[in-house]
Amino acid sequence: MRRTVPRSTLRKIIKKYKPQLRLAANADLLVHLNFLLFLHRLAEEARTNAFENKSKIIKPEHTISAAKVVLKKSRG
Amino acid sequence: MADRRARRRPGLRSSGRHTAQAAAQTGSNPGNDSNSRRRTLGQRRLRVFPDPDNDTPRVMLKRVIQTQPQVSPLKPRISNHEGTEEASPELPSKRVSSMGELQLPDLAAEDTFVTVFHLNKKRKKVSISEFERAADKRLFQNQAQSTLDNTTLFRSLRMSVGSLMAPDTVEKRGLLRRPRNRKAIDMEAFEGGVEQNMLKSNAQNYLVDLQSASGIRTTMMTSDAEIVLNNTELFVQPQLNERSQNKLSALGPQLSHSKTPAQRSKISDAAQDTAGPEGLVSGVGTDEGRTQRHSENSGLDQEHIDRMAPVSPGTPANQREDQQDGSQQSNPVEQVSVHEEEVAGSAEHGASAGYSEHLEKELAEEAELQITAAQDSRDKTDTAPSAGEGLAEGSDGPHVSPGAEHETAKGVGAGSLDRHSDALSSSEKSGMNPLEEDDEQDVLEDQAIMLDLDDPEEEPAEDESEHPESQEVKNFESEVRQCRLDLEETAMGSSQQRREVSMKTPAFVRAAAHNPLLSAPQDEKPAAPKSLVQLLKPKQVPGRSGTSQRKPREPQIARSLIKEVFSYFVKMPVTREAFKIVEKCSEKYFKQLSSDLEAYTSHAGRKTVEMADVEMLMRRQGLVTDKMPLNVLIERHLPLEYRKLLIPVAVSGNKVIP
Repeated sequence: MRRTVPRSTLRKIIKKYKPQLRLAANADLLVHLNFLLFLHRLAEEARTNAFENKSKIIKPEHTISAAKVVLKKSRG
Repeated sequence: MADRRARRRPGLRSSGRHTAQAAAQTGSNPGNDSNSRRRTLGQRRLRVFPDPDNDTPRVMLKRVIQTQPQVSPLKPRISNHEGTEEASPELPSKRVSSMGELQLPDLAAEDTFVTVFHLNKKRKKVSISEFERAADKRLFQNQAQSTLDNTTLFRSLRMSVGSLMAPDTVEKRGLLRRPRNRKAIDMEAFEGGVEQNMLKSNAQNYLVDLQSASGIRTTMMTSDAEIVLNNTELFVQPQLNERSQNKLSALGPQLSHSKTPAQRSKISDAAQDTAGPEGLVSGVGTDEGRTQRHSENSGLDQEHIDRMAPVSPGTPANQREDQQDGSQQSNPVEQVSVHEEEVAGSAEHGASAGYSEHLEKELAEEAELQITAAQDSRDKTDTAPSAGEGLAEGSDGPHVSPGAEHETAKGVGAGSLDRHSDALSSSEKSGMNPLEEDDEQDVLEDQAIMLDLDDPEEEPAEDESEHPESQEVKNFESEVRQCRLDLEETAMGSSQQRREVSMKTPAFVRAAAHNPLLSAPQDEKPAAPKSLVQLLKPKQVPGRSGTSQRKPREPQIARSLIKEVFSYFVKMPVTREAFKIVEKCSEKYFKQLSSDLEAYTSHAGRKTVEMADVEMLMRRQGLVTDKMPLNVLIERHLPLEYRKLLIPVAVSGNKVIP
């Protein structure tokens, strides 16, 4: 597993979308945690889709349908 | 004597020099039957005399050891040779007999004999005949003196053996020498070959260095250089890119604030996406061929280059390591330019008028954009979100990242959008439709291999359903036809950029465009290395001259990180396309995330996102529940250092790390 979280990249991304927004000191770590959990959910969903299709490989279709669901879920 | 001869034979045989031995024997005894007689006699006699002593090889060995030290193989002994010359003729005769009897000592003594042979070789060659003559005379004399003969015999043996062995040694040396000679020859030839290889490798290294040159500035350079090196035909394209980069550097500061960065990123992403499904390697050659044609066509048209300039640097801005992407992006750029040319040519009457109007409007508004600060853009973003969306959707169609474009347009340099949106949305939509259709159709036609799009069907649908549908739904629907959308996106995005940039072109860029245009055909001709150098220099220059604006990087989560995390979580093989989808998904996610965080923070009356805000977000997402506290998640997924940062841990000494 990676050992260094891309903290600066995260900050830049958020700045890109919301330049007026500031981030607290370690808030970007929580954001990264959030991102990891999002990917986790996406992976689980995609894996479920692939199993349903009896496919042993994650295909784009599986990912797309998984993304639809998970993005809706993680809207907050 | 005979014993020794017998020794010799097995010794020689053991060494595998039968032929040498035979030759030596024949050479030493040319037509001397007497020697053979002597051998037999000697054998008899030797056996008689030394029988009690020679029976045991042990004794013979003793003799050898005793006699050997007297003769040092290293010292040349002329006197001994002379003394033993007389005895030597006997030796050959005796050797034969002795060889058979004694084998063990021969093996032991062979080494010394061999060394002696080497020493004696040179001298012995000449004296063989003399030995033979002397042997006849001395045969009887030496026979009586067995013990003495031992010493002398040994020496003479060595001498004779040396003589006999001379041819062997010669052969030995010849054998030994040959490989040495071979080595020498091989070395010489090898060195020559190495030099040749060095030349080649230097050329290759030069290319490799070019290719491997790091840095954003040199990426396009290297990619173009490589393209040039790979296909000498392609001079126009890299040079066009080169010039476009030159223009870009001039336009850079102005364009940077505009929405082009976002579009560039989208284009780059789209291009990369197109690169994925299209099969990069095979496509490069054909695409390059296409681009060449396109470039040739475009070289004739000034407008192309003007439009090329902003678009191509925009695309290279996001190209870094993937040369194929560079070629791919240049392809859409080229194609776009071609389309634009065609569009310009075809849409002269009605659409062109409207188009030029758009261009003018965009020009003016782009100029304003440059002047206005981010604050203005913010205000304008607030006022023109829908219009921007409408514009983007109308122009770009259902793209994966139209929302991103909208937001970036809002957030960054959307000043133009405000005024653009109303005018453009209304006028452009009508004007855009035919243009888009033409563009997309042209794009599709050019990439006929890859596409079977229903553009006309999709476009009206896209135009019609601009506002009401949510971006997400649209995007998802579009993602189903990912390939097509990506291509469209590139066409649309690039067309948008085209229009936006073309606004500026009439101002001053065209003047600059003229010069490179004029020089373009001339520069096509120089050889590849020259073009390489040209590519290097001019490409370095814009990088240096445009220091005020280095190619703006789009902040993106590292693809490798995404791959690693996703693969770890999914525990199954994932296709490349699926990874691309994951990337896009994560981009959307970050967009959502930032907007949500902003909402929460502003709700709390703050301007800085705090940990509580993020936790609230996670709770809303359903990641943090009453059953699953935040700290548990932190412990699970984050590395140790960060855990310590986030969770107050009681450390020894009552020191709590906040």
